[in-house]
Amino acid sequence: MRARIPLTVVAAIAAAATVAACSPAPPSSSGGGGGSSSDTLTIATTTDVVNFNPLIGNSRTDDWITDLMYPRLLTIDANGNKQPYLAKDYGYSNPTTGYYDIRDDMKWSDGQPVTAADVAYTINAILKDKPAGNTTYGQMSNVSGATATSSTRVELHLTRPDSTVIPEVGFWMNVVPQHVFQPHGSVATFPNNSDWVSAGPYKLVSAVKGQSYTLDRVTPYPFAPNNTPTLQKIVYRVYPDINSEILALKNGDVDLIGNSLPPAQVKSLQTSAGIKVQEAPGLGYEHMAFNMTKKPLDNLQVRQALADSVDYNAIRSVVLQGQAVTTGSSPIPPVLKDWVDPSLKEYTYDPTKAKQLLAQAGVSNLKLNLIYSLEDPVSSQAATIIKDDEAKAGITINLEGQERNTYLANTASGNYDIYLGNFAIMDDPTTNMSLTYLPGGAINYSLVNDPALSSLIKQAQSTTDQSTQKQLITQAATTVHNDVYDDVMYMQNLYFAYSDKWTGFTVKPSELLSLLDPQSLANVKKTG
Amino acid sequence: MPPVVRFAVRRLGRAILTLWFASTVTFLLLRLLPGNPALAVASPNMTVQARNILLHQYGLDQPLLTQYGKYLWQLLHGNLGVSFTQQVPVSSVLLARLPWTLLLTGSSLLLTIAVGIPLGVLAATRPHKVLDRFIQVFGVGVQSLFVPTVGIFLLFVFGLQLHWLPIGGAYTPGVYGAAWYGSIIAHLVLPGVSLMLVQLGSYVLTLRATLIDSLGEDYTVLANAKGLPRSKVVWKHALRNALLPTTTLIGLNLGYLVGGAVLTETVFAYPGVGRGIYEAVTQLDYPVLQGAFVLLAATVVVVNMLTDLAYGVLDPRVRTV
Repeated sequence: MRARIPLTVVAAIAAAATVAACSPAPPSSSGGGGGSSSDTLTIATTTDVVNFNPLIGNSRTDDWITDLMYPRLLTIDANGNKQPYLAKDYGYSNPTTGYYDIRDDMKWSDGQPVTAADVAYTINAILKDKPAGNTTYGQMSNVSGATATSSTRVELHLTRPDSTVIPEVGFWMNVVPQHVFQPHGSVATFPNNSDWVSAGPYKLVSAVKGQSYTLDRVTPYPFAPNNTPTLQKIVYRVYPDINSEILALKNGDVDLIGNSLPPAQVKSLQTSAGIKVQEAPGLGYEHMAFNMTKKPLDNLQVRQALADSVDYNAIRSVVLQGQAVTTGSSPIPPVLKDWVDPSLKEYTYDPTKAKQLLAQAGVSNLKLNLIYSLEDPVSSQAATIIKDDEAKAGITINLEGQERNTYLANTASGNYDIYLGNFAIMDDPTTNMSLTYLPGGAINYSLVNDPALSSLIKQAQSTTDQSTQKQLITQAATTVHNDVYDDVMYMQNLYFAYSDKWTGFTVKPSELLSLLDPQSLANVKKTG
Repeated sequence: MPPVVRFAVRRLGRAILTLWFASTVTFLLLRLLPGNPALAVASPNMTVQARNILLHQYGLDQPLLTQYGKYLWQLLHGNLGVSFTQQVPVSSVLLARLPWTLLLTGSSLLLTIAVGIPLGVLAATRPHKVLDRFIQVFGVGVQSLFVPTVGIFLLFVFGLQLHWLPIGGAYTPGVYGAAWYGSIIAHLVLPGVSLMLVQLGSYVLTLRATLIDSLGEDYTVLANAKGLPRSKVVWKHALRNALLPTTTLIGLNLGYLVGGAVLTETVFAYPGVGRGIYEAVTQLDYPVLQGAFVLLAATVVVVNMLTDLAYGVLDPRVRTV
């Protein structure tokens, strides 16, 4: 027995030592976070950074973190209007040449200035390498290249007049440092996963996948008081879902939840001690697209019947608990006040009229399938109401909730009668209508091909005169509305929760910017 | 060839065959999944042409047999490929997460053994008494638990209500030195206990049953008759024989060290391989999934092979099987 006890102890110690030896290494104090709680803001997110290269990244957390390092040329204000950021001025010098004049007071964290050459390099690299997940690439179909004509001016050369290029590339594209990215060859394969260089307000210094991401302050940053961001550090912590994030906020583990709150949680958090809930307008919409390549959905009266059968107000009240507004069944979100046409009214809920329309169309016993993503709880609940409402008009809807990748595959192949889903950010009506309603458009889920509508959209794309453009887009939106090329149901307002110990957030539309916009996080501070 | 060597070679051959089978099935199953990686990864604004370019970059436009050949060739050279979404080698994606999983599952296994064996002995030495019945009910109860249920319960009580322990992650960012280790342990407690609880029942009940049998054997009766102290009879004579099925159980659990904590890691936002697999599934990141499943299969195969070899050494009769 005497010999066995040491053996057991030795075995236990050996096992524990093996576990310890396999354990993670501790972070070095020079690059792993820290700072006192008064100068560190901890933000909860539900997704990891997929890719640290802002030209590839495609998760929400990718955008939030890379936005703090790689500036966009333009940002948007609370009304969705484009505003200068890295670019001081922008526009078109002639119909096929656009330009940005950029600030001369921004620097990369390694001391190199941010120049027009960086902007031109980024545009040309996207065109050449076509990085996956890059939103800007789809917006540059009419761009042949970019040239830095001075250290602060970059010109974009267009193959045909396209007024959407400058505002859209300016808003969506992160500018990357040429001297860091170019030596690595193709931007489509450069992971950018260490030794980050940032133009501010913050720079990534530590990344532990599945755990946390720590960013340090970068100076000078011209959009912060005294060119110095107010926080020393920002930490993003990864949680499995929004419920865990809410627990973490209540527990004091995090200061802010980056993701918007589910409608059902908003009221409860609004009355929770120590927590503030901030509303931010959405910049997209939820819609049903009727597949017009399938009969009888190519018949306007059938689409009108489908549109008139749904009680949109009930969906907004029940599913979204009143946290949504009508778009007047228009594809232009109400937040874009300068573009909205108030004369467009929402489709009226009238099952009797819907039955009459179907009878006039000579359609009876109509059965359709409707696909939606099971990962979207709002769509899942709305789908049930839609099914019940359509049944009152004698239309049978077969609901097909699908796992995300199946849903994406079926959407891409047009394998549905009705598509239910949402667009998160529709910041530029001309661009969005071209993607949504031109034949071959990347998100043309109705598969609509109307030459008159296409002509209006293409004219709007071509003109650089904003009033003419608005007139054309208003006409196009009216066509979409009247011909039911899309059934836009509502724009969801977004709500974000944070600890009442913090103040100074700037609110911008959409989950992408919300309270997490770089300028917001460069100015936030503790109360008291 | 000596029997032991022949035995080892045979087991090694079986292990290689199993690994080949597992990696082939994984390769084929992933390609049967609905959707394609270009759709999962690309921005919705990407045109069909751009998505096709992406498929070409991933090598997914090649015939299945060509893809399979390349995959096997890479695998034979110890190359697990490059992640579609992260553009870094799969080996570094997995190695960044593996230590956390090993820490969590290894600790919970040690804890399970440390708690399970004494509880099993306690129950077996008091058969059909109140304590035994209590331990049996406890064992059956925890065995029927679902790990996310336990996790969420512990999270709610000890994290949210009592504020004793953190509710997620592996450590608190911004702490260093001794505080970092303290933070690691604090974050390990709830997921570790959750995993331990769901594993504990099988250890306790298995050991109780086999130990009761051992305590009724002639050699135990003889040891008692010789007047040996009760503790010596139980711990030295009866337990050694009764531990054999428990050892098998440990071997099985060791095999699932890497893959056994997917749900626990998800509930507690623990940055291990399991959560990485979950993310790779949503992104259809084939290389990461292939690499992860090869790693899981290799863990099971290697541990089983080692267990087989150990049995072969311990019990000469096994060598002839």
